Amino acid sequence: MAKNTSSSAFRKIDIDQYSEDNFKEDETDSGVAVGPDENEVNSLLQKGKIVDALKMVLNNAPFGIKNPQIKENAFNLTLRVLLAIKPSQIEEMVNSLDMDMLDTLMKYVYKGFEYPSEGSSMHLLLWHEKIYNVGGVGCIVRVLSDTRRV
Amino acid sequence: MSATLKPYLTAVRHTLTAAMCLDNFSSQVVERHNKPEVEVRCSKELLLTPVVISRNEKEKVLIESSVNSIRISIAVKQADEIEKILCKKFMRFMMMRAENFIVLRRKPMEGYDISFLITNFHTEQMYKHKLVDFVIHFMEEIDKEISEMKLAVNARARIVSEEFLKRF
Amino acid sequence: MTEIHRFGNIVSPITCHAWNKDRTQIALSPNNHEVHIYHRSGSEWKLLDTLNQHDLRVMGIDWAPNTNRIVTCAADRNAYVWTQDKENKWKPTLVLLRINRAATCVKWSPLENKFAVGSGARLISVCYFESENDWWVSKHIKKPIRSTVTCLDWHPNNVLLAAGSTDFKVRVFSAYIKDIEKTPEATPWGSKMPLGQLMVEFVNSEGGGGWVHSVSFCPDGNKVCWVAHDSSINMADATAGSVVHKLRTEYLPFLSCTWINNKSVIAAGHSCIPIMYSVDGNGQPIFVAKLDASQKKESGGLSAMRMFHSLDKQARVETSDTNLDSIHQNAITCLCIHSGTREKVLKISTSGADGQLVIWDLNTLERSIQNMRID
Repeated sequence: MAKNTSSSAFRKIDIDQYSEDNFKEDETDSGVAVGPDENEVNSLLQKGKIVDALKMVLNNAPFGIKNPQIKENAFNLTLRVLLAIKPSQIEEMVNSLDMDMLDTLMKYVYKGFEYPSEGSSMHLLLWHEKIYNVGGVGCIVRVLSDTRRV
Repeated sequence: MSATLKPYLTAVRHTLTAAMCLDNFSSQVVERHNKPEVEVRCSKELLLTPVVISRNEKEKVLIESSVNSIRISIAVKQADEIEKILCKKFMRFMMMRAENFIVLRRKPMEGYDISFLITNFHTEQMYKHKLVDFVIHFMEEIDKEISEMKLAVNARARIVSEEFLKRF
Repeated sequence: MTEIHRFGNIVSPITCHAWNKDRTQIALSPNNHEVHIYHRSGSEWKLLDTLNQHDLRVMGIDWAPNTNRIVTCAADRNAYVWTQDKENKWKPTLVLLRINRAATCVKWSPLENKFAVGSGARLISVCYFESENDWWVSKHIKKPIRSTVTCLDWHPNNVLLAAGSTDFKVRVFSAYIKDIEKTPEATPWGSKMPLGQLMVEFVNSEGGGGWVHSVSFCPDGNKVCWVAHDSSINMADATAGSVVHKLRTEYLPFLSCTWINNKSVIAAGHSCIPIMYSVDGNGQPIFVAKLDASQKKESGGLSAMRMFHSLDKQARVETSDTNLDSIHQNAITCLCIHSGTREKVLKISTSGADGQLVIWDLNTLERSIQNMRID
């Protein structure tokens, strides 16, 4: 008997991955979008145009980008904008956004929950509540079902 | 209930309602089988984006969902050594009796204290909104339970030490 | 008005249901391997027959009205065509589906000479009767489906077939069987139609995501509507360039949808309420009305203390909330046309995971619900 029969490593090989019928993700790397411009957002923040800053980061969210650095920069920038907005202003901000932006915003809120820092979760919970009040449960369903992550 | 717990539970409740939309779905990998896709993870198109809801650095909930099942993992607040021990023992007690809880998973996910696995068979037998209520109720009670146990342990320790020190 | 029915002591979910031609009988599966046939007499339902041939959960039932044949498919990879013998007993004939995963959905074609079965084997079997061998055989549509086929619908021309699947796409195929029918005429969806020809493919959302749960051709066959797991309702018109118009709703995902005329769609699903949408001039779906106008039930002896207690403890407003406010108490999984023609539906029926069957009379609802207009 051959020596290697006791090895069971072959059982762990995932042979299904070679099946041609398997689902493959469509290539979505567009390569052109680079995420929001940090300087511009900063200058909007300094001028107090918070709504514009928020819309800017949401409209330029890097979805189909493979580069993790761009995504991280965009996330940090968005989180800074979100945390810069006072609790009393949140409702007004959320009301000024359309459904697409609300979906994106909800994605950032959930991403923010993954990396909690001092006090950030409390603030994000407020955002969560206000977005839910406008966008309904459908907003959360779309965060779950969308394969494009922020 | 403290002011920070309510928004946390509300967010978890809404997310669970959204995530617990389960269908009956037969395996497309193994013939004549029906398995929770969130556990087998064979077809990635059947899995949804996992989300985390956190109250602070220590307390968080991980919700992973798929076409026919959802896995909810909870990290409970553990401020000191005694809470850690109590939490560990308490969770172990429950998970050893997982079949009585029906939706409890026998092993928690890594980094979390306790996990639930809810499949479409559960949502067919039970009201979905009541299942959500159960998880929320559990999260709310567990904090209270552990702080009560901690008080009981401390009180008992005080009496024991008093009795012991009387002899000197 | 809205009628609510229960069948015997069935409390388990109703997987799916189908009506006979004059709507006196219903075939339904109580979430197991059986199919029950009930006959309606007044408000009572009498069990006539139990079709007991599958050995795993039944996934789809369709009743051909004119030829009076039932087709069922199940997770055991089989489909049966049932015909009535002289004593009115239903007799099965096995269909050679040639699939190795669960069959998920089944639909008779409008002329009832063939039917299509979707499956977890990532293909569609188009089945027809071969008279020289005296059995049902199938031909496969395989490419380019990459995941389980969840739903099917036939175009009124008896050739085109729309299929939705869990790879987030809706496709329109040709299901032309040259052995039994003559060459089809050109439609706005295309002119060349050999079997398996992909006429058009719609992606549910740009970046992918959202399993397609149900798809429906409108009565004139030029528009297609589908609902998906991103809580959206989508429409595309072949005469207007097949552009996808998407409405993101604030509800839980829909599981089933059907056109009630050339302009309006009713969709129902995890939110437990059927909702009507219609197409505006640009082809965009717009919200019309909820069909279920049930009010919050007033619970007796509600104390402020209990309300605050519940609000504080479980972060919710209701106190006695075992019952939902809607008629259906769990997800609606199946939605069928009950009476009227495809161009003008008068009543629809819904069944769901709560074991109830509800018949909705659209005309009386139109009178009682504000803003609800059916043209």
